Amino acid sequence: HRAYFGAAHRKARVLRNVGSVRLLFEISRILNTGLDMETLSICVRLCEQGINPEALSSVIKELRKATEALKAAENMTT
Amino acid sequence: MASPDQKSPNVLLQNLCCRILGKSEADAAQQFQYAVRVIGSNFAPTVERDEFLVAEKIKKELVRQRREADAALFSELHRKLHSQGVLKNKWSILYLLLSLTEDPRKQSNKVSSYATLFAQALPRDAHSTPYYYARPQSLPLNYPDRTTQPAQSSGSSGISSISMYALNGPTPTPQSLLPGQSYQAAGVGDCLRQQLGSRLAWTLTAGQPLQNSTSKGLASTVCRNLPRSRREGDTTGSVEITEANLVRDILYVFQGIDGKKIKMCNSENCYKVEGKVSLSKSLRDTTSRLAELGWLHNKIRKYTDQRCLDRAFGLVGQSFCAALHQELKEYYRLLSVLHSQLQLEDDQGVNLGLESSLTLRRLLVWTYDPKIRLKTLAALVDHCQGRKGGELASAVHAYTKTGDPYMRSLVQHILGLVSHPVLNFLYRWIYDGELEDTYHEFFVASDPTVKTDRLWHDKYTLRKSMIPSFINMDQAKKVLLIGKSINFLHQVCHDQTPSTKMIAVAKSAESPKDAADLFTDLENAFQGKIDAAYFETSKYLLDVLNKKYNLLEHMQAMRRYLLLGQGDFIRHLMDLLKPELVRPATTLYQHNLTGILETAVRATNAQFDNPEILKRLDVRLLEVLQGHFFLSILYLQVFTRECMSHYLRVFNFLWRAKRMEYILTDIWKGHMCNAKLLKSMPELSGVLHQCHVLASEMVHFIHQMQYYITFEVLECSWDELWNKVQQAKDLDHIIAAHEVFLDTIISRCLLDSDSRTLLNQLRAVFDQILELQNAQDAMYRAALEELQLRLQFEEKKKRRELEGEWGVTASEEEEEIKRIKEFQEAIPKMCSQLRILTHFYQGIVQQFLVLLTTSSDESLRFLSFRLDFNEHYKAREPRLRMSLGTRGRRSSHM
Repeated sequence: HRAYFGAAHRKARVLRNVGSVRLLFEISRILNTGLDMETLSICVRLCEQGINPEALSSVIKELRKATEALKAAENMTT
Repeated sequence: MASPDQKSPNVLLQNLCCRILGKSEADAAQQFQYAVRVIGSNFAPTVERDEFLVAEKIKKELVRQRREADAALFSELHRKLHSQGVLKNKWSILYLLLSLTEDPRKQSNKVSSYATLFAQALPRDAHSTPYYYARPQSLPLNYPDRTTQPAQSSGSSGISSISMYALNGPTPTPQSLLPGQSYQAAGVGDCLRQQLGSRLAWTLTAGQPLQNSTSKGLASTVCRNLPRSRREGDTTGSVEITEANLVRDILYVFQGIDGKKIKMCNSENCYKVEGKVSLSKSLRDTTSRLAELGWLHNKIRKYTDQRCLDRAFGLVGQSFCAALHQELKEYYRLLSVLHSQLQLEDDQGVNLGLESSLTLRRLLVWTYDPKIRLKTLAALVDHCQGRKGGELASAVHAYTKTGDPYMRSLVQHILGLVSHPVLNFLYRWIYDGELEDTYHEFFVASDPTVKTDRLWHDKYTLRKSMIPSFINMDQAKKVLLIGKSINFLHQVCHDQTPSTKMIAVAKSAESPKDAADLFTDLENAFQGKIDAAYFETSKYLLDVLNKKYNLLEHMQAMRRYLLLGQGDFIRHLMDLLKPELVRPATTLYQHNLTGILETAVRATNAQFDNPEILKRLDVRLLEVLQGHFFLSILYLQVFTRECMSHYLRVFNFLWRAKRMEYILTDIWKGHMCNAKLLKSMPELSGVLHQCHVLASEMVHFIHQMQYYITFEVLECSWDELWNKVQQAKDLDHIIAAHEVFLDTIISRCLLDSDSRTLLNQLRAVFDQILELQNAQDAMYRAALEELQLRLQFEEKKKRRELEGEWGVTASEEEEEIKRIKEFQEAIPKMCSQLRILTHFYQGIVQQFLVLLTTSSDESLRFLSFRLDFNEHYKAREPRLRMSLGTRGRRSSHM
């Protein structure tokens, strides 16, 4: 019983989480964060686990810059 | 925790890296390691975990971008998200989104982001070439942990404006691009990595030793960068500091924490920039001005920290601390906003425009109002040091009398909070009569050792120091009285009527704001409330006393029995007691007297009195006073023991006077009865005459005294008392009126210490009367005996003559003559005795009159007129004549 209820409960929560992620995606779109659904949901999960958002945002920014820089470097060299 | 949808953060991070870089896991390993380290080292967020604060910031940001519609949409979405309530760390994700946000106006640049980045790196290199030597102090590059701070470059005008323009402008400007282009082109990759590394170094908290990092890629560039910059810093010689560093330090100092360069200087008791740091005078000045805030904060903080733990500080003190805390919390909120601003700049680096950067000057302006607030608070703290309870409230109240409306509203707010407990005490007290003042803060103090019989007089007192200055003495007294009345009703009268019934005024719970309103608007609401409560309670108390305890009747009874108002009763009692009173006091017995008293009550109008009162009539015998006894009515506790003793003294005096009158009446009766009998003894007439004269003198004296006591003293005072009692609004008025009544009676009856000599004279007069009585009794006895013998002698003579014998024998004749002679010889003795008595008496009366005329009391002087209306004594006593004369003259002057 307990296991069953546990599973059902978890499922419901996941469904609701999806709803929340949709909302957050809308917000993200308004704010032009440039995050896609997948990335956003990863971020949401990370945040839910209590990760410092400041650090996370800086990581994302650095990663983006790194990609762009690398792309640019590739462009330059080619 | 390890549920299927909750992967470990590491896995998620790896996913993230892969997605953003668009590479496989293996390729992204380097970036992943970097990400783990960054996140691992920045465990605790520096911003406030407040969802709404973040949401507000987002809205502001949107508005700033002129996207009001989107802002509305966002708040709608946020509301929905909030109502769902699934996510725990909403603030966190929102913050993340906010920090990732990008201005759509820059969207067009997105494609040329490389160029932007390029330009971003450029100014630093531009610095390093032509301007490096020109401005070594403001060189940002020297500081690896601050390279991207826009605030830093505000010191240098030309370069920063160019760089900023380059950063924010739609396209990179050619000027900035061109000169460095050739230089830059070669080492673009290196430069980029360098930039990334320097940022990373900052993210990894500045002081962390980076050498032991295991990562090779990004971290190695950091390692390369750091020592170089250090070295460059050293070459400039002295320790330099930029405004940005100062700003960061200042923000710490604001919270009372020593910054890196700005430290608390204990000797001067202020925050100071370390002496060896070279700094321009204006910056140093601004810094110290800003640092004052930290000092003020420390002061307030110290006070609240000290007091919060102190339980004995009391509720008022606690609420004061709470108010201070509230203010401090506001202040912290401001600081957190400043901090997050700083953080934001750090995060976004150069992306933000110059206009939003923090500078000391800006801080100075922004903290202007908080500084005034803190200053006021600090002044309050200083002023309130060592005070508690009502005193503290007074201290705060003193500060509301300022002309500055801003300060006034602040202090008034605090006053509202501080006075809230006082007000609670007050309402508890005036509506329920309860005093829950564990820390002695309220201005009504209760003495638990006082028993209920002294409740009204001694139990509750005003603590003068604790009366808040917004309550005046009159109100405080009323408040005291209201609660006292309620307690008196409850404890003494055992009247358990709930106070709400007593008081029609609706009792409402007062919020702190109301409290402040009440105290500032004293004329109307508060005064009205107190007055209403006072009026109702007192009225109820008086009603209870009158109806249930017959207070007024009891007072009348006091007057009637103790102050001899009930003439027939007293007269009858005296008649009945006469045989008892002539006996020495040792042979008097309480039970006999009680019996007599009861007889007297039954025989006179007293029997119609309230049985409740008659029950209280009792006879008490005081052994000390020969022949005098006390008739007392035991009373309600309202009238205290002291009161009772006053009554007894008055009664004693009145009883004596009454008794003198009674004795004189007896003497007069003797005169009348014996006058005819003794006519046959002409030799006695002189003595008798003398006796009559003296007696009538005494009668006159006593009558005048009686008149004076009854009409001038008792009736007048009684009438006054009665009027006052009828008009009395509370029990205190009645008690006061009663005390005044007793005082007047005592002083007018010459019982107070001032007129002791007068009283002694009066006593002497009374003694003379008693002596006269004795002398006259002896005289009459002798005279009557003589008369009897003479009559017997005559009768015998007659009987013998009838029998036909000789009326008298020679021996009998001789004996008779001898006896008559003896009697006649005794007459001068009586005469002289009377003369001596008269002499003494008149001496005493004269003395008395002299004292009366010099008395300050008007009514006593009038008494002297009455006693000496025909100037009989004045003619005999030169002193009297003189004093009367001077008085006459004085009065004519007046």
